[in-house]
Amino acid sequence: MRGFFRKNALWLFALTIALLAFPPQWYPYSARLKLTAWFGASDYRPLPASTSPTMGEAEIFCPADVPNWRAAQTIDGVDIEESLPCVADNPYAVAAFVRGTNNVSPETLRSSGLTSDAVVKGRDLDGDGDPDEIHIRLEVAELNGSSPVSADPVTKYSIAPGISPGLWVFAPKFVGMAVENFESNEARYSLRLPSPAIRIEQGDRVFITLENTHYMPHTLHLHGADHGFVTESGQGNDGMPLTSELPVLPGEARTYELSPRHAGTMYYHCHVQPHVHVQMGLQGLFVIEENRPNNWVQTMNIGAGLVRAPSQAVRESYDHEYDLHYLDLDKELSERVQRYNDPRLITQSMHRDYDVTDSTVDYFTLNGRSFPYTFRESLLAAKEGEVVKLRVVNGGSKGISLHTHGHKFTVTDRDGVTLPEAAQSPQDVVWLSTAQRVDLELRFENDGLHSYGPGIWPLHDHQVSGVTTDGIGPGGNLSAIVYSDFMDESGWPKTRGVSFDQYFTAEYYRREVPVWENYAPGIFAEPGKDGALYWRVLLFALSLGVAAASLFMRLRRS
Amino acid sequence: MTRASVLCLALTIVPVTSFAWQQMDHSQHHNMQMTGAGVVMNENTDVLPRGCDAISTEHQLTVEAGREFAADIPGTIFGMNVHEWQVEPCSRITVTFVNRDEVRHQWMVHGLPKYLYPTGMFHIEAMGGQTQTGTFIVPGDDRNYLVHCDMAQHMEKGMRGQLIVGDGGGDLWGVQGITDAFYRFSYLPDKSMPIAATTLITGFLLTFFVLRIMKKN
Repeated sequence: MRGFFRKNALWLFALTIALLAFPPQWYPYSARLKLTAWFGASDYRPLPASTSPTMGEAEIFCPADVPNWRAAQTIDGVDIEESLPCVADNPYAVAAFVRGTNNVSPETLRSSGLTSDAVVKGRDLDGDGDPDEIHIRLEVAELNGSSPVSADPVTKYSIAPGISPGLWVFAPKFVGMAVENFESNEARYSLRLPSPAIRIEQGDRVFITLENTHYMPHTLHLHGADHGFVTESGQGNDGMPLTSELPVLPGEARTYELSPRHAGTMYYHCHVQPHVHVQMGLQGLFVIEENRPNNWVQTMNIGAGLVRAPSQAVRESYDHEYDLHYLDLDKELSERVQRYNDPRLITQSMHRDYDVTDSTVDYFTLNGRSFPYTFRESLLAAKEGEVVKLRVVNGGSKGISLHTHGHKFTVTDRDGVTLPEAAQSPQDVVWLSTAQRVDLELRFENDGLHSYGPGIWPLHDHQVSGVTTDGIGPGGNLSAIVYSDFMDESGWPKTRGVSFDQYFTAEYYRREVPVWENYAPGIFAEPGKDGALYWRVLLFALSLGVAAASLFMRLRRS
Repeated sequence: MTRASVLCLALTIVPVTSFAWQQMDHSQHHNMQMTGAGVVMNENTDVLPRGCDAISTEHQLTVEAGREFAADIPGTIFGMNVHEWQVEPCSRITVTFVNRDEVRHQWMVHGLPKYLYPTGMFHIEAMGGQTQTGTFIVPGDDRNYLVHCDMAQHMEKGMRGQLIVGDGGGDLWGVQGITDAFYRFSYLPDKSMPIAATTLITGFLLTFFVLRIMKKN
């Protein structure tokens, strides 16, 4: 008997420790009932205390408008509307787009940053006081790409705090560097999502030269805009590599032509491997304004948004005009330009390894940004009594269910065609399938139908994923209609809800901050960990291990 | 206004915020020659850098750029005919930049003394099919200067070179055809890792049995 104990002491001892260490809260239900009958309930052990989140300092919500780009101003005879939100377009670029980069003063051209051939405006062919020969140049740029000498994305462009997906965009032709300044890695303001909205006049003789500055082949397809299948010289003009032409290789250029007979809100995009290239951001609004006398249209609208020099036809019926470009992004696609630098590996990864039929979208942008950055530049500034026109395109791969709080809008046009009067009734949700455009009329008329009165009224995709950023809300394409009484001098809305601080941190969108921490700190915070239980589990595991090993040795010896 | 005071003005206004491009641009009008064919920025034909008593040597460089110069270098799209240049300290360099593509390209030198070259840069930009010429004077110390095209992804996809002054100050990484990429993809064949693991086990077993046989004998 003593011999038995000597031989078996170790594993028996270790097994006893293991059984004692096993946490009673995990005992089988029937055992727990029995124990309760004998000993009653266990003593109170407080649940672990809340931990406080580690959050970086919030970014500045509303960067200072140092060069005074927001104000109404007249440059080279072009009247440029005030732009109330924090971040406005460069008014010199607006002036150059209206007059043509060949017609503005050298000072204006330099202040715009554009090249002299970016938008060339020629003769007035119909003698109505505005130029009808328009030559536009588009380059192609990659944002947040890779580098053989840097681990960080280069030509950086953030859609939200800490979120910089790889993107491809068409860009206006600017002189100089791709970054803001010489010590910065931030993309210059002209290089951004979405590709610029392009605006021409019905009947204009338009030439668009695609200068392929990117390292992959691309084309230009004018979706919905009246264009011939071939140009006058017989070159393919539809931008479709299968049926129309060979793609434009890196370093090459090709000029497309059109003279549209029909006005309306159209769309343009690259048509090379479109399931990848369109989704990467190579798409923009293409607006054909109705022909009017003295109609100098703003040929490009960088980053879409408020049209600061609207056309004559729009001025006749509306106080302001906005371009709204919705686009969703798949991070599993966009990260591929960051994973490799060799263009052969990028091409393989994007066009062969990536399977769009298995894809899900993660980011939802309005005019190239997600909330909270949408609040810097995409708010619709409202004044009571005004009527505004919204030209909306959904460039994303999923449909959007666009909804306005506090307003019912009227869909006046769909896919660039005006709807019959009888079909134009107020509504507060409109469905836009992929590539679809609608023109909306929004009346800030406090009549209980068109508007419920002044306030800060959100404007967003009502499909719930659309108001998140990779599943974290609030994010996505959330923006707002903000009446003047509710907007401060700097252009920031006078919100009366929760603080925005945490939304302006990268940590929040990295899922590191409890969602209600900004107004109910602690209550719904991250619970601490149960250290006592943790050590008990480790002791259980260790003693069970010792017991198993010693029993194994014991059995082997006998 | 004298040239020196213009330069001082430029230096004081150089970027403070990310929205400063406009102010900066105004201040640099005197240093930027822009035509329909391109841009030469911060040209300096006669002002000697500190530490230079005289121009030491005259250099005429012709740099050609375009996709054709990447054809023989795997994994690049854009390139230049030469990616490395060596000059004596205090040299005056006249660069003729020939763009063989139909899109813009740049030849930009970084890290020059800021008292002479606003933001430390000398920059030539040529529109598609155009040629631009500009002159600058390098300082007297031995150093390597980054030369690149700053259009998005052009440096990353091939247009990265270095200008060595004197004996230089050490090669830069990733100079096309001269130095290796700092971040380099492995390019291993498929299934390399399982095959390497199998090889490791094979080595172990072989040694084990060989040693055993040797021991028995």
